[in-house]
Amino acid sequence: MKPSEMPDLMEALRDPVHEFIHDSRARIVLVVNRSGKVLAQHGFTSSYEVMNVASLAAAAHASSQALAELLNTRRWNHLHHAGKQRNMFLALLDTPLEPLILVVIYDEQSSLGLVELFFDRLSASVAALPQLREVRRSADPLGFERDLEAGLDRVFTPDAEAP
Amino acid sequence: MSDVYVDTVSRLSRVPGVRGAILVEAAGGVPVTAEVDASISPRAVAALAAALFQRTASVSTTAGLGRLRRFQLETAGGHVLMAGAGELILVVLVDDDGQLGMVRLETQRAAESLI
Repeated sequence: MKPSEMPDLMEALRDPVHEFIHDSRARIVLVVNRSGKVLAQHGFTSSYEVMNVASLAAAAHASSQALAELLNTRRWNHLHHAGKQRNMFLALLDTPLEPLILVVIYDEQSSLGLVELFFDRLSASVAALPQLREVRRSADPLGFERDLEAGLDRVFTPDAEAP
Repeated sequence: MSDVYVDTVSRLSRVPGVRGAILVEAAGGVPVTAEVDASISPRAVAALAAALFQRTASVSTTAGLGRLRRFQLETAGGHVLMAGAGELILVVLVDDDGQLGMVRLETQRAAESLI
């Protein structure tokens, strides 16, 4: 994906992601692609946090995918980590172009059922975005850091803040 | 899966006027077992019902009225009954012309049997 193509996609993702946050009552949401480009975020207070979570989410996705293949499963539908106070839900948003990684952190105000339910709606909304039919596939794993920093710069600019 | 859970939901769903019953794991908002029409998504109903039950339970405790035991919604097409059963919530969908008193009684008995 070219850096010039990111603002359109990030703008297009904003409404469906905010709707998901509202409906699911999630605390933190992050959408990255497989190379770690940050496409949407909500709930983080610093780019440092986003960078760490984006990196770890991409790594968790890669390792879980490898595990799925070892177990003769094409892929997992989602990963769920239950904590005492906070839980994490990690899933793929399928799009015609490439899968995006969704990371959701939620607490007792939400539930796995709610997150799963509204994830389905988010997934359908994102898959229908015209921007994800037009942008080029990212295929440069070596550009991870560069792309991640470019994404962070964009999501933490004042104009990109959640309303 | 525990036969007790399956039997409880199956028995409730056979009460006249009951459109379906779902046993929900309260914290996760996910169905444990369900008997509903194919047009109804147990997963969606479980998630939303659990959220509603827990919110309502918060109202009850905040108001100093203690633990929420039952909860009933009246809708244009019938009723939704919810009863707490420890870490579970029993959700029963009732037709508008269903024998609500009987269903309430059976729902409460079923919930108590699960605790």
